[in-house]
Amino acid sequence: MRQPDVYAVASKDIVFESFDGDAVVLDLSTGKYFGFSDSGSGVWQALSSGVSAAALAETGAIASAELATFIARLLEFGLLAPADTAPNPLPGDLISQLAAAREPLSVDVHDDLADLIVVDPIHEVDEPLGWPAVKQAN
Amino acid sequence: MPVYNRERYVVSALRSLVRQRDATDLDIIVIDDGSTDGSAEAVRSFMGESACIRLFHQSNMGVAKARNAGLRQLPPGCEFVSFLDSDDISVAGRFKADLACFVAKPGLELTYSLMTLADRIDDETLEPTADSRTMTLRGISLGTAVFRRELIERTGQFDEAFEQSEDTDYLLRIFETGPNYALLDTVAIYYRRHGANATREHGDRLRNHLRAIHKSMRRRKADPSLREAPGIFELKSPANWQMM
Repeated sequence: MRQPDVYAVASKDIVFESFDGDAVVLDLSTGKYFGFSDSGSGVWQALSSGVSAAALAETGAIASAELATFIARLLEFGLLAPADTAPNPLPGDLISQLAAAREPLSVDVHDDLADLIVVDPIHEVDEPLGWPAVKQAN
Repeated sequence: MPVYNRERYVVSALRSLVRQRDATDLDIIVIDDGSTDGSAEAVRSFMGESACIRLFHQSNMGVAKARNAGLRQLPPGCEFVSFLDSDDISVAGRFKADLACFVAKPGLELTYSLMTLADRIDDETLEPTADSRTMTLRGISLGTAVFRRELIERTGQFDEAFEQSEDTDYLLRIFETGPNYALLDTVAIYYRRHGANATREHGDRLRNHLRAIHKSMRRRKADPSLREAPGIFELKSPANWQMM
């Protein structure tokens, strides 16, 4: 019996966008940001939108072992968490993107902008005061 | 200084610059980005008191294009460039302090100072009021930088595809190339937090910010000689607070 293999973005602090097929993920709680290889971007987009790992493996574009290692890293980084939901279908454009990918699956973590990301200027502000939401550290 | 509908604040911003005329030969370039309020009139009336301000108009095209329009007006003899947003305050004495660093260190290309966020600023003293909340950090702000002209020329234009975060993109482009910079522990600007900050629409802000980070990663991937910008951006005070 296969393990449950549907995932969701781990928390509301994990935000992401895709630009020309390249995914970039930001963890607002730590200020770390993440970049991917071309295949990694495709897999991130699929998994973060509820496509199952099994559906990705079935495309034949990615080896199962490689995919499992990649998913383990995303879980370890706190970007994804297992979800208890029915899988969404794999969109056709992602299938083509994965088939065209040339680089092995990888995700890189960067923390050079951590303080910037954690503090300014992208956090929600404390409406209506227009002040960055802050709390006193313990 | 790009200006868009800041009649309430723009004269304070200009006053904060003009009072530093003793430090250097200031040439203040104001780009009115199609304001529909009295911003242009406010600038024009203040120009009567100060000959070092030049005002240019364009239809509303956004802050990146306004900044580029300003850069195109740099006079031939200009050696140093800084920016100030039309609702912020340049702290008294900052140009004198920054320019002294360039004199002391001839190879220096860039000073990068602190900013204090304040929600109440006294428009007479141009200082945060006693009851203002403040937060001091080394963040993304073109106003905290003084650039040697050559660095500006080498960096090129602001990317006009950005509706905001054009400053993040610009500063990352600069820091990636490993310029000769000095991080100063003095506050260069008071960043006014108010109800109409352009950077408050959260979804757009986030997307623009992510785009700037994405562009940076893509540049570094294409050119391994480019570097990250570690140790530049940091929260200074209050030290015992953290983001929710």
